[in-house]
Amino acid sequence: MEVVESSSFAAKRNNPDYLSVDKVSKQFGGFTAVNNVSLTIKKGEIFALLGASGCGKSTLLRMLAGFEKPSSGDIYLQGDQINNLEPYQRPINMMFQSYALFPHMTVEQNLAFGLKQDKLDKSKIQKKIDEMLSLVQMEHLKARKPHQLSGGQQQRVALARSLIKEPKLLLLDEPMGALDKKLRARMQLEIVNIIESLGVTCVMVTHDQEEAMTMADRIAIMNAGEISQVGTPSEVYEQPNSRFTAEFIGSVNILEGVVKVDEPNYVTIHCNDTEADVYIGHGITCFEGQPVAVALRPEKVAISSYAPDQKYNYVTGVVKEIGYFGSHSVYHVELPSGKEMLVTALNDIRWGNERLTWGDTVWVHWDDNAAVVITE
Amino acid sequence: MSRFNLKWLLILPPYIWLLLFFAVPFLIIFKISLSEAAIAQPPYTALFEYVNEQLTIHLNLGNYTWLFGDPLYFNAYMSSLKIAAISTVCCLLLGYPIAYGISRMSGSAQSLCLMLIILPSWTSFLIRVYAWMGILRNNGIINNIIMSLGLADEPIRLLNTEFAVYIGIVYTYIPFLILPLFANLVKLDNRYLEAAADLGAGPIKSFFTITLPLSKNGVIAGSLLVFIPVVGEFVIPELLGGSETLMIGKVLWGEFFGNRDWPVASTVAIIMLLILLVPILLFHRFQFKEMEDR
Repeated sequence: MEVVESSSFAAKRNNPDYLSVDKVSKQFGGFTAVNNVSLTIKKGEIFALLGASGCGKSTLLRMLAGFEKPSSGDIYLQGDQINNLEPYQRPINMMFQSYALFPHMTVEQNLAFGLKQDKLDKSKIQKKIDEMLSLVQMEHLKARKPHQLSGGQQQRVALARSLIKEPKLLLLDEPMGALDKKLRARMQLEIVNIIESLGVTCVMVTHDQEEAMTMADRIAIMNAGEISQVGTPSEVYEQPNSRFTAEFIGSVNILEGVVKVDEPNYVTIHCNDTEADVYIGHGITCFEGQPVAVALRPEKVAISSYAPDQKYNYVTGVVKEIGYFGSHSVYHVELPSGKEMLVTALNDIRWGNERLTWGDTVWVHWDDNAAVVITE
Repeated sequence: MSRFNLKWLLILPPYIWLLLFFAVPFLIIFKISLSEAAIAQPPYTALFEYVNEQLTIHLNLGNYTWLFGDPLYFNAYMSSLKIAAISTVCCLLLGYPIAYGISRMSGSAQSLCLMLIILPSWTSFLIRVYAWMGILRNNGIINNIIMSLGLADEPIRLLNTEFAVYIGIVYTYIPFLILPLFANLVKLDNRYLEAAADLGAGPIKSFFTITLPLSKNGVIAGSLLVFIPVVGEFVIPELLGGSETLMIGKVLWGEFFGNRDWPVASTVAIIMLLILLVPILLFHRFQFKEMEDR
């Protein structure tokens, strides 16, 4: 699949490194939370650190904010090393996980707090507050205390507070963690719009892959303190470089196999789970006899009750389980080897009575470019 | 029905407690304050008399007018309030850093320090005040050290001064300030301090703009817990203070045991209660707020 990029993003790509994390590690006692991580982030980019809890993403974010100091390695912002600056010396602001709005201050006072530290004069502070309040549409609630606001309103204030000092880098720690699902989808787009309208460079931490894919220009997937892949949302989804990434993002069927034929323009792989060989319609850096894994996304395979007209890339099985999601259904197909395969099919015909049901014998098949071969 | 009974059973004990140990004694003292001193047993006239099928009530408001007439009482009240206020401020200045320090400690060090704060109250209050007499008197520890260092030729008078009263009061009452303040500070969410630092506030600025305002309820609760009992304090000014230290507790004692004038003594007590009513009500308000915030 072709990766489509917007022109603005293409422009961002050409910018030199804005934030650079160079071989940074962090140990707590004997535990390594972040292990030799290197990253470069471009100006104006929204960059997501995605991973399960305990993968080190929050520690990395806290090192950017200055709450933790790296055990080794360097962090550069616009070429300046910032490792040893205290949080209050860094031109970086953070929106905290559950916002950490000062409970004894009104919305307005919360926004003024950061500006007062810069010793700006009163009229200038007021002007900035008013601008920011209108940007996040909170003018009418500026005299309220945080506990008098709903979750979504608190989030707007928290975002405004972290943006009002015009930081060189904005950090978002699990930005949607405290919101319910419906509000989440709306706020994701709203926050992205605000950040992009101001052109702020942003690093966010999330465990929610959907959130990372919706909001971020690029994603770094972290596992056990290390970065396993960096790329655009479509790159990490369509071109996972490891089994971990493939399985972490979305659902995937992994078939183990051995390279049978390695030609410059195609490869075939023999899998124990499939009666037909897997045929890949392009060359891969591998050798014959090499054990590999074939990753197939459930929506990239088709399911039918009759045999497909192809020599390769199919497997037969029995429908064991059907998950009905309205717009689509997920079929759990048991292969003769006992392995279960997931297949997503669009429910594009209303009350389609030719739909498959439990116990049906089915053929699962895919085209030459549907599978990703993981050679690691 | 049974649920209704159970509810009353649960509510009743505190009310019975209050009735027996607050309302009844208060009414007795109030009754005595309206009578006249007499050489009798008990040493005051009866309020109600039933003679010849006639019920006579003798209400004597003279004690109250007497109290307002003699500047001694007014001065004693003022002096007590002043000593209580200064002691509270001293406790606060000394106790806040201690409470703050303990609240930032790790688990085991924290329990140890809290223990050390509470530990002295396991010995008798009176013994601890006597110990201070030993420390402060002319041939006590402090004066011996000063003299052996050659800082002074003759002992400095410490005992039986107002200074000694302050030392005694601050020493005795500071745990009552530290403990509620600690309870408040320990639940201060560290994220607020991180947010303040993130927004450019250094440690000192964060303390005054975040920590201190957020601990307001703890400060007020702790301060009133010191202020209220200190106003009526008797033992410390009696043992450590001099004759010039005027406190209402001492006046009260003098009226009861020196003059054997129970009605005037009772009046002094009633007026003191009325003066303390305002801070007591304030205390309850802030204690309630403090509980609500949890």
